[in-house]
Amino acid sequence: MTFMTFLLPHRFKKLGAVIAPIGLVLWFSMQWGVVPRILSFVFGESTGGQNSSPYYLAHVIVTIISFFSFLGGVYFVTFSKEKIEDEMVQRTRLDSFQFAALVQIVFIIIGFLAMVLFKDPGMEGLMLFFIGVIFLFWLCFIGRFNYILHIKIK
Amino acid sequence: MKNYLKEERTIKQLTQVQLAEMVNVSRQTIISIETSRYIPSVLLSMKLANALGKKVEALFELEKSD
Repeated sequence: MTFMTFLLPHRFKKLGAVIAPIGLVLWFSMQWGVVPRILSFVFGESTGGQNSSPYYLAHVIVTIISFFSFLGGVYFVTFSKEKIEDEMVQRTRLDSFQFAALVQIVFIIIGFLAMVLFKDPGMEGLMLFFIGVIFLFWLCFIGRFNYILHIKIK
Repeated sequence: MKNYLKEERTIKQLTQVQLAEMVNVSRQTIISIETSRYIPSVLLSMKLANALGKKVEALFELEKSD
């Protein structure tokens, strides 16, 4: 029986389960100003327009690391094999993809209806909406897949 | 589809883990089949029947709703 050949070894799932939450927490800490306060304490205050200042560079590096470690973590968790990869796991994976796609479609429809009926969210709001749409898909997939395999069936 | 996997496994005094190892699937898969949450492929059905020393039709039975 042929299975998806581009799945990563199982150990990547554990790695992803560690780095994705760290990346997410770090990214939110950046957004809420916790990390920037620490960076300004370490590197000194950023002066306006000084894009090469140590503070600015550290800020950019931490932002990139947090965002990509979250993305990489999600990728590892999603596209890693289970310890025993069999046909039921494959079926559950496929069902979970379908479930996530369905949730995403419903979210997109409701989101666009809300925009048309209520308020124009502006460019920033639209960007946030599309980022939400992308992450909703992956989070729904990961949530359902692991719930079915590791919680519901015990 | 009705199946007698649990009954036959019990007769053979096998645990879910042992049966799973015999047919190279996870324990969750055996649980899912026994609780009729998952209908196995022809290949896995034959492996299970082989492991339990039974014919496939003795393990699985069509119901009126199928």
